Amino acid sequence: MRLRDRLPGRTSESAESDTEPSNAGATTESGADAGADTDPDLGELTTEDVVLSYPNSGPIVDGESIAIPAGEVTALVGPNGSGKSTILKALANQLTPDDGQVLLDGRQVADRTSKELAQELGLLSQENTAPGTLTVEDLVYHGRYPHRGFLESVDEADHAAVERAFDLVGIHDLRDREVGSLSGGQKQLAWLALVLAQEPNVLLLDEPTTYLDLHHQLRVMDVIRTLNAEDGVTVAVVHHDITQAVRFADYLIALEDGAVYDWGPPEDVVTEQLLAEVFGVDAAVEFDQGEPSVVPRRALD
Amino acid sequence: MGSDTRTATRSGPGFEPTDWIGWMDARLFALCAVSTVIVVLGGLVQVSFGAYSMSVVEAWHAVFDPAVLSNPDVILALLLGGELPELENATLIVWNIRLPRVLVAILVGATLAVSGAIFQAVTRNELASPYILGVSSGAGLAVILTLVVFGSLAYMLPVIAALGGLTAFLAVYAIAWKGGTSPVRLVLAGVIVATVLNSLQTGLFFFADDLGVVKAAISWTTGSLTGTDWEQVRIAIVPALLSLAVAVLASRQLNVLLLGERTAASLGMNVELVRFLLATVGVIAAAAAVAVAGLVGFVGLIVPHVVRNTVGSNYTRLIVGCVFVGPALMVAADVGARLALSPVQLPVGIVTGLVGGPYFLYLMRKKHELGDL
Repeated sequence: MRLRDRLPGRTSESAESDTEPSNAGATTESGADAGADTDPDLGELTTEDVVLSYPNSGPIVDGESIAIPAGEVTALVGPNGSGKSTILKALANQLTPDDGQVLLDGRQVADRTSKELAQELGLLSQENTAPGTLTVEDLVYHGRYPHRGFLESVDEADHAAVERAFDLVGIHDLRDREVGSLSGGQKQLAWLALVLAQEPNVLLLDEPTTYLDLHHQLRVMDVIRTLNAEDGVTVAVVHHDITQAVRFADYLIALEDGAVYDWGPPEDVVTEQLLAEVFGVDAAVEFDQGEPSVVPRRALD
Repeated sequence: MGSDTRTATRSGPGFEPTDWIGWMDARLFALCAVSTVIVVLGGLVQVSFGAYSMSVVEAWHAVFDPAVLSNPDVILALLLGGELPELENATLIVWNIRLPRVLVAILVGATLAVSGAIFQAVTRNELASPYILGVSSGAGLAVILTLVVFGSLAYMLPVIAALGGLTAFLAVYAIAWKGGTSPVRLVLAGVIVATVLNSLQTGLFFFADDLGVVKAAISWTTGSLTGTDWEQVRIAIVPALLSLAVAVLASRQLNVLLLGERTAASLGMNVELVRFLLATVGVIAAAAAVAVAGLVGFVGLIVPHVVRNTVGSNYTRLIVGCVFVGPALMVAADVGARLALSPVQLPVGIVTGLVGGPYFLYLMRKKHELGDL
């Protein structure tokens, strides 16, 4: 059963008026230089019939339209190979669609210069590499790259953005440490600070918590929620753990074999049927006064 | 007090990653100071000793001979190759023969070291040297082709060598390019081009029947400063200074490139363009060195590691460090090359290899994370 009727397009049951397509068109002009202050109406990412493939592969995603509503936290979930990371790459303009288009606030991401796009959209990957002797502070300052010209030195706005990033992530104590001396969780927090220093309207995260211990998993997700609540930053996160995605996301996009299986608020999307059909898992799903819980029981054949 | 200290360290001389003045820290300063002392001492030895011997004091006087220093015309005449006025013998030998050789050594050392540092970042490979993308094999083949086949063009050897190196670099890039490129593709293409060109080069030796030609060719492919004078300074100085300046200014791009292609791209860098431009700067620096000194080995590989070991991997500091340490190694090595077996002069590349190899070995034994970029 594919609940196509709830796909982006979209019915009003989401009650988020600011994600109506008409709005996206109106903000196109100002989208290019939104600057540091995040306008809650900005940051809507949509794909229109995108076909995505890698060199030497067939289409991974074949003509999908999805929408990441502005100012919300959206999680892309699905089993391995369902195309969630591929879609995220396309949203970040790191993978060019064979067909169809990716729009940020009504304008194609590919039409922006790479610096323009980086001022609006930040991307955090699962694993990152940095020279071991780099200090965390130096690393975070690199987040200001899209805001600086070739010979421009750091200005007040850069200092302020970096300070705010350190505040939000809460890693002032790591500031002078070398990246090589950090634990995996601390490293990911430092990288998160780098992306926040970028001051994006849209934050894309590709399995940001996969290799982290529970404490750091929750810290990363908390920072993302805070950023969304305080600055209205649009967040799209690819998450392998549906139990966590359910707790943190306003919206879920469940993917199966490169196609959208279902879309909507977690309590609508996450059902025992979804877990069985998409994830192949027998699980108990409960929503107790908005507190979701998913308890997997066993793998289905 | 705690918060006061914090503010003090933030706004004080502590390193702000992007301040143009803030990058100088104590270790970098010490490194640059020691290197400068080595260059000055080495230079003093070079101008004092030789076939026309004079005492260190005499040499010192000659270097600071007011007849030269107080007269811009003389300096210009030396630099641009004009008529020289009547000068004392010592002054003439120092200023016309020995000092330019030291200057060439400084230029070659700085360009090779910076070029090596650039290529280590561009290819994300700690074993990268200025020659990794085919520059050496292209220049080498061009030189030997000229010496063996087109002997009449020998007077244009520096230009031919540089052009050969640049051509090989472009060929490497073209081979590596497939809708974009990557560090691994570039390095592999470099190996391919080097293999083919080196075979051709070795093959050509069979057609040289004059021992003098073979010696000249070997001296070129090992790297030598024998006989360099103001002519070589004139050839190298513009591309050298330009590429060094661009490298210092572009150091932030190198730092971001070191965060990986994906991160650099998501931060808004046009990775392919920036990588190509940086590689071009590195190749121009290397070509300037190759044109005047031939293929001096090891300097471009080792100096960035020595500097990185002292100041860390921030490229702003690393490049500045290379500009000082490269000349120190080169000038010191040339002292050995010129004076160790006097009156026979060795190609300086032999000495850099003999000094550099063991030093690299020492670093490897001492440090665990030597290669860490």
